[in-house]
Amino acid sequence: MAKKDQINTDDIFRIVDETVPVEETIEKNVNDLFTVVGTSQENVEHISATPYSYWRMTAKELFKKPFVIISLILLGIIIFFTIFGPLIKYYPPLKIVGDTVMTGDRFGEAPYYIGPSADHWFGICGSNMGVWFQGADMWSVVWQGSRLSLLLGVTVAVINTILGIVIGAAWGYFRWLDPILIEFRNFVNNIPTILLDILLMQLLSSYMKQYGFLIIVFLLCALGWIGLAGFVRNQIIIIRNREYNIASQTLGSSSMTMINHNLLPYLISVIVTVVSSAIPAAISSEVGLAYFNLSFKVSDGDITLGQVLTQATKGIAWMKHPYLLIGPLVVMVPLTVCFFYLGLAISDATDPKTHR
Amino acid sequence: MTTYLVGYTIIGLIVLFIVFSILVKKKIMFGNTLGMQKIFAHPLLHYSIRRIGSALISLLLAIMVTFFLIRAAQPVETTCLNKFAGPHVTPELFELQCNAWKEEMGLSGSIFDQLIRFFYSILPFPKTLCRTDLDVNSMQFIVSDCRVFIIDLGKVSDYPGVTNGTYVIDYMLPRMMTSFKIGIVAVVLQLALGYPLGVFMAKYKGGIVDKIGLTYIISIDAIPGVAYYYIWMAILCGGLGLAYTYSSEDFSTALPAIITMVFTGMAGIAMWVRRFMVDEFTSDYVKFARAKGLSENRIMFTHVLRNAIVPLVRSIPSAVIGALLGTYYLENIYGIDGIGQALLQANNYKNAQLLQSVVIISAILSIISFLLGDIVTALVDPRVSFSSADD
Repeated sequence: MAKKDQINTDDIFRIVDETVPVEETIEKNVNDLFTVVGTSQENVEHISATPYSYWRMTAKELFKKPFVIISLILLGIIIFFTIFGPLIKYYPPLKIVGDTVMTGDRFGEAPYYIGPSADHWFGICGSNMGVWFQGADMWSVVWQGSRLSLLLGVTVAVINTILGIVIGAAWGYFRWLDPILIEFRNFVNNIPTILLDILLMQLLSSYMKQYGFLIIVFLLCALGWIGLAGFVRNQIIIIRNREYNIASQTLGSSSMTMINHNLLPYLISVIVTVVSSAIPAAISSEVGLAYFNLSFKVSDGDITLGQVLTQATKGIAWMKHPYLLIGPLVVMVPLTVCFFYLGLAISDATDPKTHR
Repeated sequence: MTTYLVGYTIIGLIVLFIVFSILVKKKIMFGNTLGMQKIFAHPLLHYSIRRIGSALISLLLAIMVTFFLIRAAQPVETTCLNKFAGPHVTPELFELQCNAWKEEMGLSGSIFDQLIRFFYSILPFPKTLCRTDLDVNSMQFIVSDCRVFIIDLGKVSDYPGVTNGTYVIDYMLPRMMTSFKIGIVAVVLQLALGYPLGVFMAKYKGGIVDKIGLTYIISIDAIPGVAYYYIWMAILCGGLGLAYTYSSEDFSTALPAIITMVFTGMAGIAMWVRRFMVDEFTSDYVKFARAKGLSENRIMFTHVLRNAIVPLVRSIPSAVIGALLGTYYLENIYGIDGIGQALLQANNYKNAQLLQSVVIISAILSIISFLLGDIVTALVDPRVSFSSADD
């Protein structure tokens, strides 16, 4: 036993002895590598990291993706042509002589399907397309339609977003409102949407014929906000009970502080997503309504993309003459897809968690 | 008489069962009998009862709103004029036909009377209904074909392609079957294709399949439905030469509609599977399993997939039952005579009875599918319990 003890203490001393020269060599090396610069008051105050700006980081994050730039350019082109398209090449979409609509005489007897040419870039609306479209220039009709579609899309999106966010925030924040609104949502889900749209359209159009635009806006907004409100409600409920909010409440923050400093900044990304996906959603809903003749009345001169598509695909002529389908789709598909993609990209970029 | 007896017995038994189970739950009866408590105080049973109770309120609201909307949007007198007035119709005949039609549609009398009669007809207890046909020559009503109904959805009359006085349910059921035949094939294929796609996308996140899949999902969400259906129609019917109108004799004519439905629904399923899987991958138990040295495949298929399957299982009953109700756009585009078409046609011919029936049927089906979704979730996921806050 005693022998073993002696050996152990010897080992320990040996190790301690050996460490001394090692430390010395390190000190030597450090002194070779670095030189002392001393202290300077200016350098102490200077922050070498670039200052964080939320919106600058958002923009930086956004433009990193090449498809964002592509869709911005595409959207720019579509909006440019929506405003100036009819000015560049314009044939009056509806041929009206006196009080009667003259159709088809420009191209002889029906049926006629005249594809794209140097004069008519998207071709001529075929004879399957109903009295108000036959024989008109597709280019003019499509851009005329995208005007109203875009206007409608933006209007409905703004109304739906405001309603959705305000009601959704209240829905999430006040617990007593929750069962009422959930029951309301169930009740709306029980009625087929298309039936509700049809009945509301019949009811409203018999009482207020002259307000076509308002009726369509009402139809799209009457039920459109429910989905958005439900989405915002879920987000509010998720963050309402986060630890930092409970801590803030316990420390005595007022409701206003809670909303302004804790909840709203978190919701910016959600709100932006909702806004940007609401525009393509509204345009799509109008196309759906137009399919069942629930949209604007063409006889009033109101043309939308949905009506152009519905009219162009009447019958089966468009399968033999695909230009009828391609004309409206060339505008409709990039318009909705670009808006939708931009919405997703913006929602990613506005999320502070992606800012590194 | 016997049918009445059976009907009332069944309804009585159901009511008794519900009352009994509530009494057992509140421990007024059999409070100490463990076996009884286990069966009649089962949380799932009481959750279902509560759920049906609250769903009935929204069902009632939905039915009443459509009831009033139909009457406000489609004034009876105008419809009558459009339907029966003509150069060869005498005022007496017009009056008689119009009144008979109003009677059949449940549109006669004041709106309050109509509402009461409507609720009487849809309240679930047995009642006998007969056909009454107006014989124009003798100006008399002929009564025939009496049947007992639990819920009386009314009759179809003055309707194209339907003999006068056909019961709504006889008109609806074949159409429901048509919708279901096509829908169920689409639902099965959607699940069979969408699920593996979602799993694959989540497993190779950021890979080429994932990127293509995400682009496809975005474009489906963004492109207006009608435009999207026409693109598929152009590919399938214009390009591949499939039939562009459905005929009930040849099921292969439903192929374009089925393919379109599959490719639309598949994207949604794949997106949700991918999202759940990706969420699960960042959770603690996966990190722990990885730290313990389990293989990626083992983590994927025995742990992550089981957890990610739960939210999706809930949607299966509603997808299957939703197939009964068909689709509006696709049935219209391909001329499939399903429920979606029936609804639009009923509106064109101003048939209030049919419109209300569609709402009642779809509301009842949606209640059933919600309930089934919850029950299936409880069966799949042992963590779910249905005890409420007051228990």
